[in-house]
Amino acid sequence: MPCVNRLNSFQARLVLALVLLLAAVMASVYLFARLAVGEAVREQTAQRLEVGEKVLQRLLEVRRQQLSDAVSVLAADFGFKEAVASGDAPTLRSALLNHAARIRADEALLLDLNGRLIASSLAGEQRKPGFDALALQAVSSGGPLLVPVRGQLHLLVDSPVRAPVPVARVVMGFALDRPVIEELRSLTGLELTLAAHSPEAVLAYSSSLTPSPLELAALLRDSRAGVPHDQRLNGELYLSRAIPLGDLARGRVEAFLHGSLQQAMEGFVGLDRDLFSVTLVALLASLLLALALARAISRPLSELTRVAERIGQGDYAEPIAIAGRDEFGRLARVFGQMQEAIAERERQLAHNALHDAVSGLANRSLALERIGSALQAGRPVGLVALALKNYRQLLDSLSDATAEQLLPALRLRLEAVLGLGDSAARLADDEFLLLLDGRDAEASVALVDRIQQLLGKPLWLGEQALSLDIALGVAAAPSDGDEPELLLRRVDIALQDALQSPERLQVYQQGRDSDYRRQIDLIRALRHAPQQGGLLLHFQPKLDLRLDRVRQAEALLRWQHPLYGMVSPGEFIPLAERTGSIGLLTAWVIEEGCRQLGEWNANGLHLQLSLNVSADDLLQVELVERVAGLIRQHRIEPAQLVFEITESAVMQDQARALAVLDGLRGLGIGLSVDDFGTGYSSLAQLKRMPVQELKIDQSFVRELDARSEDAVIVRSTIEMSHSLGLKVVAEGVEQAGALALLRQWGCDCVQGYFISRPLPAEALVAWLGEREAQEV
Amino acid sequence: MHRVDRLSFKLALEESVAMTKWGWGLTLGLLPALLPALAGAASLQLQVLDRDGRPVEFAVLSLEGAGLAAQTTGPVELAQVDKAFVPPVLAVRTGTAVNFPNRDRVRHHVYSFSPAKRFELRLYSGTPAEPVLFDKPGLVVLGCNIHDWMVGYLYITDAPLFAVTDALGRVNFELPPGDYQLGLWHPSNPDLLPQARGELAVGAAGLNQSLSLEWQVAPLVQRPPAPSAFGQAFEDALRESPQ
Repeated sequence: MPCVNRLNSFQARLVLALVLLLAAVMASVYLFARLAVGEAVREQTAQRLEVGEKVLQRLLEVRRQQLSDAVSVLAADFGFKEAVASGDAPTLRSALLNHAARIRADEALLLDLNGRLIASSLAGEQRKPGFDALALQAVSSGGPLLVPVRGQLHLLVDSPVRAPVPVARVVMGFALDRPVIEELRSLTGLELTLAAHSPEAVLAYSSSLTPSPLELAALLRDSRAGVPHDQRLNGELYLSRAIPLGDLARGRVEAFLHGSLQQAMEGFVGLDRDLFSVTLVALLASLLLALALARAISRPLSELTRVAERIGQGDYAEPIAIAGRDEFGRLARVFGQMQEAIAERERQLAHNALHDAVSGLANRSLALERIGSALQAGRPVGLVALALKNYRQLLDSLSDATAEQLLPALRLRLEAVLGLGDSAARLADDEFLLLLDGRDAEASVALVDRIQQLLGKPLWLGEQALSLDIALGVAAAPSDGDEPELLLRRVDIALQDALQSPERLQVYQQGRDSDYRRQIDLIRALRHAPQQGGLLLHFQPKLDLRLDRVRQAEALLRWQHPLYGMVSPGEFIPLAERTGSIGLLTAWVIEEGCRQLGEWNANGLHLQLSLNVSADDLLQVELVERVAGLIRQHRIEPAQLVFEITESAVMQDQARALAVLDGLRGLGIGLSVDDFGTGYSSLAQLKRMPVQELKIDQSFVRELDARSEDAVIVRSTIEMSHSLGLKVVAEGVEQAGALALLRQWGCDCVQGYFISRPLPAEALVAWLGEREAQEV
Repeated sequence: MHRVDRLSFKLALEESVAMTKWGWGLTLGLLPALLPALAGAASLQLQVLDRDGRPVEFAVLSLEGAGLAAQTTGPVELAQVDKAFVPPVLAVRTGTAVNFPNRDRVRHHVYSFSPAKRFELRLYSGTPAEPVLFDKPGLVVLGCNIHDWMVGYLYITDAPLFAVTDALGRVNFELPPGDYQLGLWHPSNPDLLPQARGELAVGAAGLNQSLSLEWQVAPLVQRPPAPSAFGQAFEDALRESPQ
């Protein structure tokens, strides 16, 4: 049996328990049966002994009666009477002998009425002293009198001799020997021992057994009348019963009946054997049964354990090999159901894990998986990221019922554009991804056009036609990346770019990824830039053309990024504006600017400093307070500060911006319009702004030429500004010619690489010192 | 052997003692025959009672004294009637011949082993030709060999005066006043020996005396044992068959 090899503890316990139980039961049955049998045998034997006693008593009585009758007859014999009356001793003796012989008595005595011996059949030396006393007892007692004579027990019977009145008593003795014992034995089946004994010695005994002297002594010593007790005689076990037969002068006469227990038990040997063999067979059968039962229990259990292990390891497929209508069968069925349920749930979970709940499309994870498998298989795959820009507006505009139809309709549309092997996924609420199997970058782009067209058409939901604002970003694997995450990121970047562009379509370009990453890094770093100490101000001197001196400088923010090094303001400023960090930067610039001015003031250098202020800053009312505080703190004159603002900066919240500007102006700070001519230039607005200065954008100045259109614009701008009472600063002077022209046209101030590039504070001071030295 | 001798000597001694007593009795027994001639007879009434006060029948009272002459009597008889000795106790003077008539239909085998007279009357019916002479004083116990229960007592005495008590235990003596020795014998006496009951002084007016035995006396019965089935059948057959 295979299970025996893998004897697990439960099986072993079960088998052991069953076998032990049965063994215990059988053992106790056997034991009790044996005990009962033993008891029964003893009881039986004891009863036989009781009966035997009665038989013995009766036997002795009958014998005595017989003998008594015989003796009576003898005593009544006339001749005997005559002999007795004669008183002649020899006659008497011969008469006794003769009469004793008639009834085969072993001895005969004649006693007078007082019990004294008159004559005896025994020869002189055979007569024991005290015999007459015994004879007297025979006279007086009624029961059979047994006396030990010559080592044997003799039964004495007496009869009166009547002539006609009693004149004497004749006593005759009969040895109780083998015939008596044999007779009793044949009647009762019991062994008999007759014994006359005194405390010191055994006076006479005869027995159907042959006990050793030790056994005999034990028998005589240990028996109690009426109480059967065990005795070992001849080496065998007997149940003995003592029967008192009479007392002697010193000692007593007893009969012992012995019932052989061994013999009686022999009858049960067969039963014993049978019981034993039944026990053995039962034990064996129970062992086999127990093993079978244990196996029947543990096999299904093992199977179920295995199944459970498999389920634990995620194998839900294998069917459970336990049939049957019993508990195990039921358990197995339930297990099977559980297995299926778990499998189903896992499928469900897996499905949910890989699919978007609402739309039923694949989710990001699944999309990544698919990309990954395509890469592994070496198949090119095109990624088209799709954003529905007006998703939220659409949702808001629709009723709940209709809104529910939006996604399914979308999905249908998406799937309509896909071919075999392609798939769609939903990456975010309003973002989708199409995977175009087997297409490289070019093929993807070609398809994307068509997609754009298809998706551009209005979407009908019931009666409503919805227009979809779709942006598409395209990337291709393996050309744009070799990892799914990377590809997804890059197509997402493309999508972000697409969202910004008017074509609403962007193919991923190399480097955009790193650009993006750089952007993100910078954005992050910007937030902490003021604290990090990476920010510093460079100062570009402005040359006053009238005075031909440098009395002003523009503070330009520089940023030393720990990783990227010097990051140009053209890069980080727009980022800061986009991410709301611009306020931090500007605040720092203002503070640093004021500090620097204060320092220069302390060192005897009085300059005017221009700071760039963004649109956000203009929306902060606290700006004025702050600046006021800084002016005081650093002990600078308000006029030393000039804030440069672009026109577009005012656009957002004109009223508030103008209020702030007014506030600043109120402090005595100068205001300048930066990048004039670009962006949202509005002369009307210019009128309203409390500015004193106007800066011409460098795009007009850089390649300033007498004959170019720039010349016209610059010139007219200078004149207009002057007319409006504004000073003019020209940025981006990079050539001498430009400088000459500007001087010619009456520009107030110039700024540019031709004069100097922006310098750090110490460098500026040094440069100013050199210039002064030159001037002089 | 010497034991037997001793016993017979003892017996002989007792015999002689008894004989002396009887001798005296005999002598005394004769006196009443003479005395009436000599003097006026007084009446002596004796009654024997046992220990419980019951009258004792068949007790032999014998008187001895001066002036009493013994008398010989003619043949006396002790019959067998209904398989019993009738009377069970007979007192005779020494030298009396006794007849033993068998009045039964069955024969009897009368015998006695008593030292006073050993004799047998073998299986006879009717009356034997010769009576048996009892010439020695003493007690003769009679039995029947066939019928073990038959017991008779023949009291042979030398005493001049003797009588057997009646059913009321009484005897009456007519004798001259004087002093006499009284002897008492009954089958219940220990060892079957007579008792001397002392002196009696009989006055002219007579004497009425009661004697008490120290033991209980059961009536003398000669009854056969209850018949066994065999015996009963025998009896029935006997009765039915013509005899």
